[in-house]
Amino acid sequence: MQHTVEAPMNNEVLENLRLELRRGCLILAVLAELRDERYGYTLRKALASQGMEIDEGTLYPLLRRLESQGLLVSEWREEDKRNKRFYRLSADGKLILKQLAAEWKSINASLDGIL
Amino acid sequence: MELIDRYLQAVKFALPQAQRDDIIKELRDSILSQIEEKEAELGRILAEDEQVDLLQKLGSPLHLASHYRKQQYLIGATMFPIYWKVLKAALGLALLVLAAASLATAAAGKTFTESLGVLLRLPGVALMVFAWVTLVFSVLEFFGAKFRVRHRWDPRRLPPLMKNDPRKSSFELITQLLVQTTFGVWWLAGLHYQYLVFGPGIAFLRFGPVWQTIYPLFVVMVVTDLTLTVAMIVWPRWTQGRPVTRLVMSVLGVVVLYFLINSPDLFVASDASASQLQLVAKNINYGVHLGLLVTAIVNVITIVRETVRLVGLRLAHVPQATVGS
Repeated sequence: MQHTVEAPMNNEVLENLRLELRRGCLILAVLAELRDERYGYTLRKALASQGMEIDEGTLYPLLRRLESQGLLVSEWREEDKRNKRFYRLSADGKLILKQLAAEWKSINASLDGIL
Repeated sequence: MELIDRYLQAVKFALPQAQRDDIIKELRDSILSQIEEKEAELGRILAEDEQVDLLQKLGSPLHLASHYRKQQYLIGATMFPIYWKVLKAALGLALLVLAAASLATAAAGKTFTESLGVLLRLPGVALMVFAWVTLVFSVLEFFGAKFRVRHRWDPRRLPPLMKNDPRKSSFELITQLLVQTTFGVWWLAGLHYQYLVFGPGIAFLRFGPVWQTIYPLFVVMVVTDLTLTVAMIVWPRWTQGRPVTRLVMSVLGVVVLYFLINSPDLFVASDASASQLQLVAKNINYGVHLGLLVTAIVNVITIVRETVRLVGLRLAHVPQATVGS
């Protein structure tokens, strides 16, 4: 039996699945971008310029979570006459990034075959 | 900039205390950086509407602040189905006990308003039941979450398969109904015509007044017992008939036992002037009281066991998620 799904419902399901799919990818992208030191705003712009749009409400709490997990280190420094919080990968973060990148490539290769 | 400050003030209000200032400082810098970039692009200061647009993109203050908080819950998804079933069972039990207590109050000769008053205590009792069940499960969740981390699950320790058909046959049920009817009629008649119970012993011993006081409760028990058996005959697919019957009868039994245990003279001497008989009645009352106390404890255990069994049966019928979902 074929089920019909109304358009708004379909959109909502799609949006939720899309967010779920992006969640893990964003972490990987953020870790990768922070191989070089950046503060939140420039990090967000760097991600957006490569097609990974992320809003502040997601990015800043994510940065704090990654820092509390020991994957990032941060420090407040003055730049352009304003205090900014700069983030970069910690030693643990570098190791995790390497492992996650390998995992990502493996998943990507599998999905390429499946899709 | 007043609008930005008001926005940040509202965000700050909902942030975790320890990180408030740090988060606000970072958010302020991010917002100001965006404004500066926009203003450089336009070559002018942003109008209020443009600032509003920018803040609206950030989301409402509460929404933005919520991202900084850990997801908090009292009872997690693993524990919740058990909590929900136990809560429903406990509330149902509370309703049954109050209904029985209300009937007992009426049977004790109190006014309709008084017996209704007992029943109307339900909202307060339900609130207490809800609070206690939630508290117990919150504690279980708190310690359980820690335990589950290192819990080594072993399929060999799962409970054995439940009997496929826990129902009795029609023959068994009809025989049970006949026995229950015979016993019920004998008992209810015997409470009025005590010779039916005591036989020739009626010359020495009789029921105390409490048995007449709670007579309506016995009627309720007999009728309930018969009704449940009839229900099992009429709806043979009702697999939970036996545990439900045991549970309901145990609850009613506890109410009856409460009255009996609190009555010193369960049996009285037929001849009030015979001191020897008085002594015999006193000893019998003592022994019966002890027996009733043990029965009450067994009934309470049955109530707990059957409630758990019913919860287990219901949980067993919860559709299982498919592997990998």
